[in-house]
Amino acid sequence: MLRLAWRNVWRNRRRSLINVAAMGFGLAAIMLGQSMIRSLQIQLVQKATGSITGHIRVQRSDVDEPKFPDKFISAPEAAEKVLDQDPRISVWGRRIHMTGLISSPNASLGALICAVDPLKEKTLTDMSSYIKEGTYLDPDGKGIVMGKKIAGRLDVRLGEKVVIMAQAADGSMGAEAFRVVGLQVTGSESFDGQIVWIPIKAMQEMLGRPGQVNQLAMRLKDVELVDEVAADLDKRLPPGNVRPISWKVIDREIIGIQAFQNGILTVVLFIVFAIVALGILNTQLMSLFERVREFGVLMAIGARPRWIVRLILAESLVLGLVGVLLGVATGAAMIAYFGRHGLHLPVGQAFSYFLPFPSVIFLRPSWHQHAFACASVFAITLLASLPPALRAGRLKPAEALRHV
Amino acid sequence: MSKLVEVANLHKTYPGGSKVAALKGIDLVITRGEFTALAGPSGSGKSTLLNMIGTLDRPTKGTVSYDGHVVSALGPDPLSDFRLRSLGFVFQAYNLIPVLTAVENVEYPLVLQGMDAAERRKLAQEALGWVGLETYAERRPDLLSGGQQQRVAVARAIVTRPSLVLADEPTANLDSKTGAQLLDLMQGLNKDHGITFLFSSHDGAVLERARRVVRLQDGELKSDEQRKI
Repeated sequence: MLRLAWRNVWRNRRRSLINVAAMGFGLAAIMLGQSMIRSLQIQLVQKATGSITGHIRVQRSDVDEPKFPDKFISAPEAAEKVLDQDPRISVWGRRIHMTGLISSPNASLGALICAVDPLKEKTLTDMSSYIKEGTYLDPDGKGIVMGKKIAGRLDVRLGEKVVIMAQAADGSMGAEAFRVVGLQVTGSESFDGQIVWIPIKAMQEMLGRPGQVNQLAMRLKDVELVDEVAADLDKRLPPGNVRPISWKVIDREIIGIQAFQNGILTVVLFIVFAIVALGILNTQLMSLFERVREFGVLMAIGARPRWIVRLILAESLVLGLVGVLLGVATGAAMIAYFGRHGLHLPVGQAFSYFLPFPSVIFLRPSWHQHAFACASVFAITLLASLPPALRAGRLKPAEALRHV
Repeated sequence: MSKLVEVANLHKTYPGGSKVAALKGIDLVITRGEFTALAGPSGSGKSTLLNMIGTLDRPTKGTVSYDGHVVSALGPDPLSDFRLRSLGFVFQAYNLIPVLTAVENVEYPLVLQGMDAAERRKLAQEALGWVGLETYAERRPDLLSGGQQQRVAVARAIVTRPSLVLADEPTANLDSKTGAQLLDLMQGLNKDHGITFLFSSHDGAVLERARRVVRLQDGELKSDEQRKI
């Protein structure tokens, strides 16, 4: 039956080729869309967690806003011991993130002060890689790294001093002078114009909070384990007022963006599926009308109605198989090409306001999504051919033989 | 000879505004080994009667029986199985499957029977041999002449060794010489292999070859003539 189905499919070569091409390129477009969205999402998560957030943070459980923890952990050692013992964590580091005032002889402005353990932070985030002039922070020094934009607004250059002021533990304004040791360019307005980096030791001294932090940020060996590790840490952290928070809670706007993108992809998916289904329906109906007499002959020589139904479904199976193979080959080739050479997307520029985000996306396959698309195209091909097949199965032999 | 087909009080009225009565109470018996022609002008009911005997259409009234069993009331699947095992068809327009070769067309009924590939290929080649086309086995219908296509259709009709082969105007699309050759072939199969043939025609030259001629007019049996050849 499959041999006959195969030959029947290619009986009208041009029509079948157009159909297979529509199916194949539709599937390839779906795969490309899935890969673009997935790659963008992965890149977005990598950039967000790799620039500032980290995969999981241990913070006070009574902070008002997880993104900007405003309360301090006075004795983080017990929690740090738990982090040290977890083999799924590749690195963790002490941090104090808080807003403050930064002043130069010429200007003052508000900024997010990120006080970090420089040695840990080098592997926890990729901020050190954006330094274009100067060096990164010395853990025991009083240097400051800032974006070129913020330096320009303050009118300071490498080697010059700025003063940072922030609220100290006793409620007074703590102040300290820091020398500009590094200027960075990330391409992000937020990072280059609103964030500065200093060593945590100097910040603790300035605030009168020796040994205190307001977060312990960590990077996992496998980001996919983030929920599992966060849940485990929640059980294992010493009782008190700290808790682990995953990037999904801290950067929940990214989850919203992902949901929006997935929604758009689903709509596009349905449109392509509908086009494929209509194409197959049209082909099979045309084929049915052209071959009514032939089906009459098959019935006359003894083919049962369900044999006719199965024959038409087998033809769709062949069409679907060829279309899916073409789609997978074309889609995989496009993904491989843009995976190697990158794809320029304006959406990268849009994200770059908030994050150091490149405008080039390197595509990677999303096989579980592609498999779903292939299975759906295949299933739709069969479903769309079901009405013509059932109709052929209901033909009356004598009437079919009279059909002109 | 034993009775093969019995048609009793067969009526066929096509629905519609004017309700055309194509058959009006036909009674007919076909015995094994016959070489019988249905004659009559266009619209006399020849094709309708062949369709009823071939179980391709259902009578409005009356019955068609084979070997004493009424088949005209069977459901679609038993009817398909009956046609597959007991009947062979030859059509005016050959009606071969264009994407299959001659031998594949001939073995198609055996595929439907579920026969294994080697056995059905052997039988199909044998049937093609009976119609003199063994060397054309791998040709597709578009590479065969009209006469050759009709011979392949005959081979397809006899490959299952049916009790009865029904042929609706089998020579109508052939020139007179090729038509005569086809009738020679059918007669040979009838004589040498005992295959019963019932065919329709309005061509006098064709009817002369039949041993029995049943004439229809306006849906009624007008005459039933046994002839010696």
